[in-house]
Amino acid sequence: MKELNFALYAIKKNIQSSAELRTSFLMNIIGMSINNVAFIILWVFFVKSVGIIGGWTAADIIGLQGFVATCYGIVFSAGAGIRKLADYTASGAFDRFMLSPKNLLVRIATSSFGVSALGDLFFGIVCLGIYAFIVHAAIYQILLIILLVFTSVIVFLSAAIVIYSTSFLLTDASSAAGGLFELFLTPSLFHGGAFQGIMRFIFTFALPSLLIGALPVEIVRDVSLDKLLLVIVLAIFWFVFSINIFNRAIKKYESTNFMTFGS
Amino acid sequence: MKEIRLAIKIVKTLIKDRMQYPDRLFVDTTGVIARCGVLLILYGYVYKLNNGTIGGTTFLFAAWSIFFYFSFSVLRLRDISREIMKDVQTGNVEVLFGKPISYLSYRMWWQFGSSLYSFVIITILAVIALIFIIGLPPTMTVGIFIPTLILTFICGTVLSLFLYAIVGLLAFWIEDINPVFWIVDKAVMILGGSYLPVALFPTSMYKIALYSPFGAAKFITHTVYDTWQTNWYQLIGLQLFWIILLGMIIYFMFAQAKQKVSVNGG
Repeated sequence: MKELNFALYAIKKNIQSSAELRTSFLMNIIGMSINNVAFIILWVFFVKSVGIIGGWTAADIIGLQGFVATCYGIVFSAGAGIRKLADYTASGAFDRFMLSPKNLLVRIATSSFGVSALGDLFFGIVCLGIYAFIVHAAIYQILLIILLVFTSVIVFLSAAIVIYSTSFLLTDASSAAGGLFELFLTPSLFHGGAFQGIMRFIFTFALPSLLIGALPVEIVRDVSLDKLLLVIVLAIFWFVFSINIFNRAIKKYESTNFMTFGS
Repeated sequence: MKEIRLAIKIVKTLIKDRMQYPDRLFVDTTGVIARCGVLLILYGYVYKLNNGTIGGTTFLFAAWSIFFYFSFSVLRLRDISREIMKDVQTGNVEVLFGKPISYLSYRMWWQFGSSLYSFVIITILAVIALIFIIGLPPTMTVGIFIPTLILTFICGTVLSLFLYAIVGLLAFWIEDINPVFWIVDKAVMILGGSYLPVALFPTSMYKIALYSPFGAAKFITHTVYDTWQTNWYQLIGLQLFWIILLGMIIYFMFAQAKQKVSVNGG
């Protein structure tokens, strides 16, 4: 509870700080929202060109983009510090986090705020609203969407923690972590119906890309309790796994002991 | 002559740097695998479901077209926008203006050279892999293909640099160019034929791609189709038109931008 209060306080201060540059703040949010429309346009044209694949319609594409953008927005707006982990460890800035009496992961995550990710969050919520409207979602489907946003956020956060924990294992991990993150995120934005067989297996179990968008859409559409159970179990697994990896990786960190004078 | 010497020096230095620190190569390679590799596997499955043909195009043509898009993207020419913004925000532009070189020319050569090494390595390896896995379409074996490919590659490179440099120059007027950059970048992504090959574009979208600078910057994706052999000169003509127009816009914008900078010396 104490950690949660601290996290909320840090996020509040980060938002206040970012909102100081009001025009830039608003332009980032609006710009990112417009930017994300591109993915919907692309995949909707794809559906129109190739027809329905794996039962996926244009509405499902909107739902997919909604889920992915929402969890991306939540994690990388409030917890943008995770993405800076590689820079923190490479520059020695990580030392100050270790000296903090707060929970290390919460402290790192809330050390930075991603304004543009608020645009993703806004876009994601709008998409999910449109999706629920188009598929005439019943009350239980809306509750499913809310539950699945929660599991998607956990999976997304866990994947980000695992990937950026490589920062402790490599000398300059910024590039490696960026590449791995792209390998995780990019397939999550692709048409979910086209993932079949071995590809579906890989991007569900080895890389959890489909857990944050494609599977949640299929669960809401088909009201599949088997898939829901699978997503929940995998979300719990990934969360425990990520915390474990982070705690193990952190032991590899060696302070760079920068000899600085003045600033 | 001095300009050419400077350009060669910049490109050579950057290639040596990238060879020494191959982390960028790793990022670019994973990026191409994540985007292009996965996409091609998915398209392979989708084409199989549709009995090998979608919109009159086979997987062979679609795959090479998509590959050309992502291969060209490895050059990261779009990053010139953010580099210019960074120069303006950090004040580095003041230092560069004080040097006896053309700022924009320096930035463009720097951008071209910074990812040239990754581009060459990834493109060569991926072309070999694609030839072995899916083969070459007949349109890529005709005599006119290679010369026109090189021509449209050069025009596309210049056009992309001009397009993104204009976005970057906006940093002299607005504090954060990212929102504009995202919109332009996504317009290029959609109309360039990234996730959806140009052959599958609806008619209206194809026309927009044809007559806008966003689509023209990636005309390299058109080279694999049959139509290229009859209309290549029109498409390259369109690229040249946009290069001249955007070149003039850059010239006037840069002249205005320079007036907004006050170099204080040190």
